[in-house]
Amino acid sequence: MFGFGKNVNVKVDKDLYARVAKVADVAGYATAEEFVQHILEKEMLHFEDTKNDADIRAKLKGLGYIS
Amino acid sequence: MFAFFKRLFDANLGEPIVIVSGLPRSGTSMMMRMLDGGGMAIMTDQLRTADLDNPKGYYEYERVKELEKETDKSYLKEGRGKALKVISWLLKDLPDDNRYRIVFMRRDLSEVIASQNKMLKHRGEVDNSDDKMMIDAYMNHLASVRILSRKRDNFEMLEVRYDQTVADPAAAAKAVNVFLGGKLDEGKMREAVDKELYRNKKVAT
Repeated sequence: MFGFGKNVNVKVDKDLYARVAKVADVAGYATAEEFVQHILEKEMLHFEDTKNDADIRAKLKGLGYIS
Repeated sequence: MFAFFKRLFDANLGEPIVIVSGLPRSGTSMMMRMLDGGGMAIMTDQLRTADLDNPKGYYEYERVKELEKETDKSYLKEGRGKALKVISWLLKDLPDDNRYRIVFMRRDLSEVIASQNKMLKHRGEVDNSDDKMMIDAYMNHLASVRILSRKRDNFEMLEVRYDQTVADPAAAAKAVNVFLGGKLDEGKMREAVDKELYRNKKVAT
């Protein structure tokens, strides 16, 4: 409560949560929370990953849109 | 109370700069032409002239290409109340002392890359990038732009699809005009759309 812990609560649609819990169970995760955390970490890598920045920059430079 | 302070804050930043953005070859020049036709003032130096890839001109402002490197960006204030083309990659480098209304062009990424590759060839540039990898990279980049537009209080963004604009210029002109305050000539905006320039179309499978 009030940010003292290491976890926060996120609200999701009830039906979606039911589906998540089902898949988490089938996939062998200890809890639905563990499954959600795993998915979010995987997805976040896409946005935080900057390994393609050099490729984009090279292309845009070649096209004459950045200096 | 919040609304009052927001109005006060917005008033200090003056009129918004209308930014036309997107990946290169996603219809940004077409949108600039539409705004120009519709009666909006354009911030361009016309240094990059029309060519095979953009027969009707680029509507660019050369100095914008330095946004990543330059620290003094005060010249952008000249763009208040005008339209300025800034590619999606450089949106993150826009300074906080302006408000921005962003018309963001979206186009099928395989079409964007096909068109970019053609343009690179015309420019005599060597390009060893892998198309599939570039689609992935652009997808992530576009998601980052969406996140950025939500995070920045001075950003308002409207996404406009290139194919839908070409197919129904009237609907696109209307949506853009409403977003920008409703003062533009939608008829003239429509006329600025040239279907013949939609050349790198995705082949239906």
